[in-house]
Amino acid sequence: MKNSTDAAFILKDVNLSFGSVPILSNVNLSIQERGVTSIIGPSGSGKTTLLRTLNRLNDALPSFQCTGSVLFRGQSIYTNGTGPIDVPRLRQHIGMVMQKPCLFPTTIYKNVVFGLKRLQLKPRSDFSSIVEETLQAVSLWDEVKDRLHRPANDLSQGQQQRLAFARALACEPTALLLDEPTASLDPQSTQAIETLIQELGTRMPVILVTHRLEQAKRLSETVIFLSEGCVCEWGGVDDMFACPSEEKTQQYLAGHTL
Amino acid sequence: MIAARRRTVMGTLLHIFVGVMTIVSVTLLVSIVAMMVAKGATALTWEFVSQPSKSFGAEGGIRSQILGTLLLTLGAGFVSLPLALGTALYQTEYLAQRLKAVSMRFIYALNGVPTILFGLFGYMVFGIYLGLGVSWLSGVLILAMMILPTMIVSIREAIEAIPARYREAGLALGMTQAQLIRAVIVPQSLAGIITGMLLGLARATGETAAIMFTATTFSGVDLPQAINEPVTTLQTHILLLSQEAIHSSATDAVWGAALMLMVLVFCFSLGAFVVRSRLRFAA
Ligand SMILES: Nc1ncnc2c1ncn2[C@@H]1O[C@H](COP(=O)(O)OP(=O)(O)OP(=O)(O)O)[C@@H](O)[C@H]1O
Ligand SMILES: [Mg+2]
Repeated sequence: MKNSTDAAFILKDVNLSFGSVPILSNVNLSIQERGVTSIIGPSGSGKTTLLRTLNRLNDALPSFQCTGSVLFRGQSIYTNGTGPIDVPRLRQHIGMVMQKPCLFPTTIYKNVVFGLKRLQLKPRSDFSSIVEETLQAVSLWDEVKDRLHRPANDLSQGQQQRLAFARALACEPTALLLDEPTASLDPQSTQAIETLIQELGTRMPVILVTHRLEQAKRLSETVIFLSEGCVCEWGGVDDMFACPSEEKTQQYLAGHTL
Repeated sequence: MIAARRRTVMGTLLHIFVGVMTIVSVTLLVSIVAMMVAKGATALTWEFVSQPSKSFGAEGGIRSQILGTLLLTLGAGFVSLPLALGTALYQTEYLAQRLKAVSMRFIYALNGVPTILFGLFGYMVFGIYLGLGVSWLSGVLILAMMILPTMIVSIREAIEAIPARYREAGLALGMTQAQLIRAVIVPQSLAGIITGMLLGLARATGETAAIMFTATTFSGVDLPQAINEPVTTLQTHILLLSQEAIHSSATDAVWGAALMLMVLVFCFSLGAFVVRSRLRFAA
């Protein structure tokens, strides 16, 4: 690993739990400022929980607890000796695409600018060009350019997922959390989104939860494997896929054909 | 074997019991409505609705009473909507989990306070202590207080029905609590907010005890010219006329006024129903 000053996220002795049920224990990780980091692991292993810890989205769940320290660009995001943490600002920096996209019951256009408009990041006159740009980026533009003012909920699942991606990009995040962003996409749109992820990875840290190992292998520099309540193994993608040091990783990788 | 037969007998008896009870209650309700319509329909002419009353209601119409009732009711809605919305938002968005339950219990309890106590309280506080007297303003304030619990409860329920993923989608974009309320919570619960208000209005329209103390004089006034003047209402008009039931013209008028009141209440409830079903599908 490179030295830690180059890290976007650093987790030290982090324990995550819901009430008395531990989800992940003793997490120690550092995630680089550039590049794609994949989180893999069986269903229910805590991938989503870990991801949502990074932008404090779990806070809304009443029983969630996080101990240890989580740093984003050198600043602790859960506890801070000097004053309260500006969580909305943190979340503005860290864009997120959720596992199940949730669009607002309004038009496609308004969904893309939903965050922009409330956060007043850009003048309104820029909105239509931003809408076009971001929808182009997620390769949705051609499919929806004639129906921008139609309800977003009429879109297919895969289109909704890309729209949610565009909505996150419109706010110009400086880091990205992606929770299975290609889960309901056909091969062609998957290809487009993967290219986008790679391109974004050259500019910012991108953390990608995925069930497709070949995708993790293709896109990421670093892989984090979660299993049985902890980070079982993490490291460079080539080492991990070529010669995993943990037996559990070996088994998991062997169980999935690449 | 015996046990089984007993069970069937019990089952049949229960079936008969709930059936009879249903028939009795439905009959009662239907006959009230039927009687209102039967007796009131003849009295409820355009003349009757559009003319002011004369000689203490024995002659003339009920125009001022209808307008008075609407003035009071809408005024109360206008005052209580921001209060109810604010309280509901505070409870759902800002209050700690433990206090939520306590505050809810308190509001349910308030909902059960007999309205005559609201009237008495309003008379003492607004009428005497604040010197507003028997006036439109006092009536509006006390009605607003009275319907507040109903409105808070239904608005709060509407807000709590918003799926968590909507909140999360907003929060994940970096919205503050205030931005979330404006962009997500209020728009997503709008149907419920309007429904809550209309149900509150329906309740206020049917109310008599509280406004008898605070807002109305039985007769002799038309529309108030200022907020500190009394109003006359359908509710109190019915009360007055029914005490003079020996005069046949008064009897006709009382049924007419009663039907009119029922129509108003029905309109608010129907409005609530329509908004609820319409906006749910839009959302
Ligand atoms: N709000 C919650 N309250 C209690 N437990 C929860 C909550 N959310 C998730 N969990 C539990 O945390 C564990 C990890 O869930 P998580 O969603 O992080 O898994 P995941 O790795 O993302 O799975 P998948 O691949 O199916 O998306 C699961 O056992 C789940 O039941
Ligand atoms: Mg998940």
